Amino acid sequence: MNPRLSRRTAAKGLATALAAPLALGACARDKTDHPTSVTRAQIDEAMRTPTEITFWTWVPGIEQEIALFEQAYPAIKVNLVNAGQGASHYAKLRTALRAINGAPDVAQLEFQMIQSFAITDDLLDLRPYAMEGLEDRFVDFAWSQSTGTGGEIWAIPQDTGPMGMLYRTDIFEAHGIEVPETWDDFAAAAEALHEADPEVFLTNLAPSQGAFFAAMLWQAGSDPFAGSDGADLRVDLTSETASKVAAYWGDLAGRGLVSTDADFNDQWYQALNRGKYATWVAPAWAPTFLTTAAASTSGKWRVAPLPQWDAGAPPVSSNWGGSTSAVMATTDKEIPAAVFAQFINTDRESTETMAFDQFLYPPTTALLEDPEFTGQELEFYGGQEVNGLFAEISDTVSPDFQWSPFQDQVYADFTETVGTAFTQRTDAVAAMGEWQDRITEYAEYQGFEVTES
Amino acid sequence: MTATATAHKTRTGAPERRGRPNRSGRAGYLFVAPFMIVFAALFLVPLVYAAYFSFFREQLVGGTVFVGFENYTRAFGDAELWTGIGRVGLFFLIQVPFMLVAALFFALALDTGLVRLGRFVRLSIFVPYAVPGVIAALMWGYLYGPDFGPFAQLAEKVGASAPDFLGADLMLGSIANIVFWEFTGYNMVILFAALRAVPSELYEAAAVDGAGPWRTAWSIKIPALRGALMVCLIFSVIGSFQLFNEPNLLQGLAPTVIDSSYTPNLYAYNLAFVGQEYNYAAAVSFILGLVILVGSYVFMFLTNRRSRS
Amino acid sequence: MTAETTIKRPRAGRIKGGRRTILTIGMLAAAAYFLLPLFWVLVASSKTSADLFSTFGLWFSGDFALFDNIGETVTYDGNVFLRWMGNTLLYAVTAAGGGALLASLAGYGFAKYRFKGNRAMFMTVLGAVMVPTTALAIPTYLLFSRLGLADTPWAIILPSLINPFGLFLMTVYVQSAVPDSLLEAGRIDGAGEFRIFFQVTLRLLAPGFATVLLFTLVNTWNNYFLPLIMLNDPDLYPITVGLARWQGQAAAAGGASGDLVPLVITGSLLSVIPLIIAFLFLQRYWQSGLVTGAVKQ
Repeated sequence: MNPRLSRRTAAKGLATALAAPLALGACARDKTDHPTSVTRAQIDEAMRTPTEITFWTWVPGIEQEIALFEQAYPAIKVNLVNAGQGASHYAKLRTALRAINGAPDVAQLEFQMIQSFAITDDLLDLRPYAMEGLEDRFVDFAWSQSTGTGGEIWAIPQDTGPMGMLYRTDIFEAHGIEVPETWDDFAAAAEALHEADPEVFLTNLAPSQGAFFAAMLWQAGSDPFAGSDGADLRVDLTSETASKVAAYWGDLAGRGLVSTDADFNDQWYQALNRGKYATWVAPAWAPTFLTTAAASTSGKWRVAPLPQWDAGAPPVSSNWGGSTSAVMATTDKEIPAAVFAQFINTDRESTETMAFDQFLYPPTTALLEDPEFTGQELEFYGGQEVNGLFAEISDTVSPDFQWSPFQDQVYADFTETVGTAFTQRTDAVAAMGEWQDRITEYAEYQGFEVTES
Repeated sequence: MTATATAHKTRTGAPERRGRPNRSGRAGYLFVAPFMIVFAALFLVPLVYAAYFSFFREQLVGGTVFVGFENYTRAFGDAELWTGIGRVGLFFLIQVPFMLVAALFFALALDTGLVRLGRFVRLSIFVPYAVPGVIAALMWGYLYGPDFGPFAQLAEKVGASAPDFLGADLMLGSIANIVFWEFTGYNMVILFAALRAVPSELYEAAAVDGAGPWRTAWSIKIPALRGALMVCLIFSVIGSFQLFNEPNLLQGLAPTVIDSSYTPNLYAYNLAFVGQEYNYAAAVSFILGLVILVGSYVFMFLTNRRSRS
Repeated sequence: MTAETTIKRPRAGRIKGGRRTILTIGMLAAAAYFLLPLFWVLVASSKTSADLFSTFGLWFSGDFALFDNIGETVTYDGNVFLRWMGNTLLYAVTAAGGGALLASLAGYGFAKYRFKGNRAMFMTVLGAVMVPTTALAIPTYLLFSRLGLADTPWAIILPSLINPFGLFLMTVYVQSAVPDSLLEAGRIDGAGEFRIFFQVTLRLLAPGFATVLLFTLVNTWNNYFLPLIMLNDPDLYPITVGLARWQGQAAAAGGASGDLVPLVITGSLLSVIPLIIAFLFLQRYWQSGLVTGAVKQ
């Protein structure tokens, strides 16, 4: 190949590629104007008009709830699309929302992502379509997570994850360890267990699990993004409370008393099955998850409430995971979409199917007070009434916790600052400052007015 | 006949400069037209659109503005990007020679026909290329595992401790091993197919001269493979600098070792899909393209000059 | 027909058997390294999910559940696995056949004809691959969506037809394997340019054509990111996106998870088999007899 010629022609090709602008808009968002009030008659009429709506979700078996809806509203047909879970679901959703068509009418959104989609005006405010007494059907924290600072209803809660602690009775008994009720007890137990058997850790602190760490901040009373509203972002990850949480976990990791393995991978499944971790500090969906992910350990686990910071005060918990149904602002079928989002998450039969068949932990007060649900004895947990315990915990979750408007970036930055400090055994409190700096820098680049405190 | 064939062998990758005057240029256009039309419509147009995209800045709050070359100047001063480029450059220098030498060796060894079960071996070496990435990551994640992986368990049995394959020090090597495993067979197949195009007259001539198989390999086969080796090399440059899949999949196992800017392509991806900085991600992609272009050019220039002297 | 019987090459007879054995052992050791992962997939496919995470990974143990797993994989969710396999087959075969043909035509055109813009076009194709496309998925999707191609099989097939690597390979190939004398002979006989290509040249290109075919096939087969972004309709999914969807469900943090990990692994095993068959089938075209025979005519 002749270098002289190839250089010239290649450079020419590249110049062409770089220079020619296309007569296409940089952004193709197309938001329909939506009514601010809707009458009962309009809703009835829309629900009688044959319409197809598209619903993106990853929940297996949700066809059952869709069938119930289609039974109640035979004119409406729901197209179910499983666009993947977590990151791939959101990547697709964001891409489709930018195109002219292809976006769903209703989509599954986790609680922490609601603000991230609201900030880009991608969610439809459901207030005009809300049924009477909607708010009262849900536990407080689930409702407050689904609404905006101006009272907007961004989404309808579907399932939650109030935090508890799953533990291995066999390991606890073998080493004579009591179930810890406070975080001080927990640290002492970690030390005792590690001394008794260096191969086993009281728990695993996953360095990339920002959601777990957020739940820890939440329980302790730290609310780092409180007061943020639209373009005005407040961030406080260096408060006394936040530092206390970081110092606590940083200390356990630094002394090697807890392991710091990445979670939800093969290695971690192996560790759960082979008894490397004596507890999993985890939410209400974890019990079902373990039943398949750690099938070989059936009967060895029990569930206890989340350890507390203050032994004397009333117990406090927080939430990790869970999700909602949200209507996209791009839809032109607002009424059927909004009715659908409410129906599957409030209808008695539909919510019961979710709780009993799909094992989604319910946010509705009706189910959380239903003895048939709370009294279920789970064999995997030695017949313990796990649902009932989490129903009590659910009541103790503080409703005061606000998510950032770019939560995926916040989690990514967590891994690279605080998470890394855990694995490298460096100063976790200092890493909190670094985390805050990164968030500030990013937010300013994205056009936010940032107030650090 | 032999002479013509040999003359053709010595050429490398690109089209010949001097065409033959008696050929109809129009026929040439017709031959390349189908490829070029699809290429332009589905490859080049999106690329040009993306380039256009890279001159804007779209913010989460505050809308979209034209910023000219701002994204490019930001990229030139972005330490995370250049650390990543340095890392993949190192990866290229270490991994590619191993892989290509192995692929060449396997292709030559199989071509001698001396290996029993040759077809089985050829298939075995190629198979990893067909294994889906998710599964490759699962499997290597298991093998590398510091607690329950076979190496770790073996080491524990003899009272030693296995190296931490997923730690910061060895990670690049662990990725290199996966890439070696995946792509050696791919390169071998190219080289093997190219060997099949060598006319047997050349070998017969060599046999008459009394050359053994290794001499034949050295003095006839390897020179005949120059073009195909160039193909492998150029695409290894591209593959190394665009390294994405393997670190992306191993990130789930070692999230604090492989950060979001571990390789430049991973960085661009995370900018777009985690940070929603689509415009800046496009600019980073083009800068990386430019680096690869310059790298390939320098590389071709060096090999060409060396082979001439 | 093995390679050994078809090639008239100086070898075997004059080499000592010992060297041959050493070479064979060495190559088999290499084969073992490359096969190890596939062996792991096979072993893992034979385990129940309870055994999968609690027994040694590189050997069979517990219940032998391979056939149960295969049955469950194929029938899960209304035979959706078979639908995904069928889609993948359609996309991969169409893209591979079309892509190899386009690359051969263009490679031949670039290598054997002189015309204005020859090198510029060739270098543009090469230059374009240097820009990684992972981060450019959004502009690409917006454009495809405007063209009405998003969420159709064409969104997968059409871009897969373009294999710049295949073009490069074919250009090099034509230069090494197609002597000008053969084309001149064709022209003297009065054959048109395209007749020469299809009747004379194409046969000479068999190894190159088979290689490009194989690579495009594998690329399209394992294509993940493009269909993930482009397709919304699960009935159009290829196997990779489908398996990833199961994988996502299996590792579901925050929702109910099915017992899907064994299905993902078994599904992967099944999805590799057609590629192995394709490889074995295409191997035939790397036998040198085809090439040398034609040149001698």
